[in-house]
Amino acid sequence: MDELITRVVEVVILLYLVSAVMFLIRTVKGPTIFDRVLAVDALSYDLAVFMSLLALYLGEPLLAVSVVILTLWIYTLDIVVSKYMEYEKVSI
Amino acid sequence: MVELILGLIGLTLLLIGAFLEIMGAIGMTRLQGFFNRVHAATVSAIGGSVTPLIGVSLLSLALEELGIRRFYVAGNSLTAALLILILAPAGTHALARAAYKSREVLKNFVYDALEEDKRGLRQ
Repeated sequence: MDELITRVVEVVILLYLVSAVMFLIRTVKGPTIFDRVLAVDALSYDLAVFMSLLALYLGEPLLAVSVVILTLWIYTLDIVVSKYMEYEKVSI
Repeated sequence: MVELILGLIGLTLLLIGAFLEIMGAIGMTRLQGFFNRVHAATVSAIGGSVTPLIGVSLLSLALEELGIRRFYVAGNSLTAALLILILAPAGTHALARAAYKSREVLKNFVYDALEEDKRGLRQ
């Protein structure tokens, strides 16, 4: 069972790397700033799963601790960018 | 026995999540227009991040060799999955609202109910 889990996690890590490259293409190419922020969002959620899988694969559980904080920062990025583009200022 | 069931459920969720993530990435690259790409981003955020994070949480509970530290991975992954489930739609909605109000984004809608509401045309 452990061997099967390791093999599947290897394949899934490769798939997440491929999709990260695709999101990166959209981040560079995106015509407006909204497309770029949307692609960075998707890239960061991808990174969260990637770090969690890496913690499982390498046997280093402390790698997974920063995933929660990363998630909160992505939400902050969304809200700050959208409110700035809408009202041209961010008030808290 | 419990570890076997947890491992199989976790592997299934992980594979479903990887498939949806690839689909979302292809959509993000190929679809035209911002509002179509919002759909691809949501597929990759909810289907491609929440599902595999729950899967990783179950898988780490199934791995005995990590010892007591496997609960770090399980708890953090589950918390991150719940946070993404709540926060990703809210953030994407705020972004789409700002994009609707801005003049940069090309808006070639088939039907625009919000515009009709604003003008008072809709009953």
